[in-house]
Amino acid sequence: MIILADAVNTAIIGKGLMIGGGFIGPGIGIGIIGGNYMAAVGRNPEASKFLGQALVFIAIIELFALLAFASIFIVS
Amino acid sequence: MFSIFARSGPVIYITSKDIFTIHGVQITNSIFYGWICGLALMITLILVARRITVRPKGGFIQLVESGVTFITNLVESSFNEPERGTKYVPYFVTLFFFILFNNWLGLVPGVGEAFKIGGNPLLRPFTGDLNATLAVGVVTMGLVYVSSIREAGAKDYIKHFFIGNPLNPMYLFLGLVEMFTDMTRVISLSIRLFLNVTIGEIVIAVFAYLGSFFAPITAAPFTLIELFVGALQAYIFVILSVMYLAIAVNHATANDHDLTDEPVTETMRLTPEKA
Repeated sequence: MIILADAVNTAIIGKGLMIGGGFIGPGIGIGIIGGNYMAAVGRNPEASKFLGQALVFIAIIELFALLAFASIFIVS
Repeated sequence: MFSIFARSGPVIYITSKDIFTIHGVQITNSIFYGWICGLALMITLILVARRITVRPKGGFIQLVESGVTFITNLVESSFNEPERGTKYVPYFVTLFFFILFNNWLGLVPGVGEAFKIGGNPLLRPFTGDLNATLAVGVVTMGLVYVSSIREAGAKDYIKHFFIGNPLNPMYLFLGLVEMFTDMTRVISLSIRLFLNVTIGEIVIAVFAYLGSFFAPITAAPFTLIELFVGALQAYIFVILSVMYLAIAVNHATANDHDLTDEPVTETMRLTPEKA
């Protein structure tokens, strides 16, 4: 293991795990919001006026993905 | 740039850099560009406001006018009594156009690495600096706190955190958690705007680097995405701060029986599918 730690830059593995792990949750969340929005519009086309509110919730979720992205610059 | 000058990786700037000092006050590149953008915004909007006519003639003036109408409707429809929201409209319209112009002018080619002074880029998007967005967030949340206390009164303002009687320990705990959540709003507002703009810059820089010689072609789609994100973030900033204001004000004007422990019978009668 000591040889492995010398040969591999572990910070890169850490950054990859941070990005990958941090993007899973927001991805699922945005998928749920988008899917439910489309289901609501399909059921009742009048509901398409709520696109703005759906985008607001997407932006709230997106913050956590961006935080994960920003955190990789701290790891060195 | 050219592949002859290819570097080991894209050059990205996360923070703003000092470019000069005025009497010991360090001026960073983002506040410098913010001044330029603010001047441009003022001149543009004053010129537009002078040329507004009753019968719209189309063009750029029409775009600005529709943006103003959009934000006006957004603010007024958030309040239970729309006339209460009318006096907040000018601030939120200004906020929307300020953030929108700063986001979009940050995408203009030449902002970033093009001009350098002392090894640091001369221009940087104003909203790509946490100090700038924090200032905008503090001013906005200050307005929200002051005006919601003034509209609702101090007692009702404290009361709106609690969904029931504060003597009930459960409601007391929930109210305290709600108060703590209220304090994180200024941070979350400013960090959302800052990270969206900065990470957009980073993504554009990465794809311009990957394209090397064909940098304009590879970076163009992401610049277009950033145009959309910039407009969306301006809208989100405004609608979230309007919601924070409207929640406190609407609670004060709501009926008193909403704030008691007794079961609300009227609401159950109004929604027959739940009864």
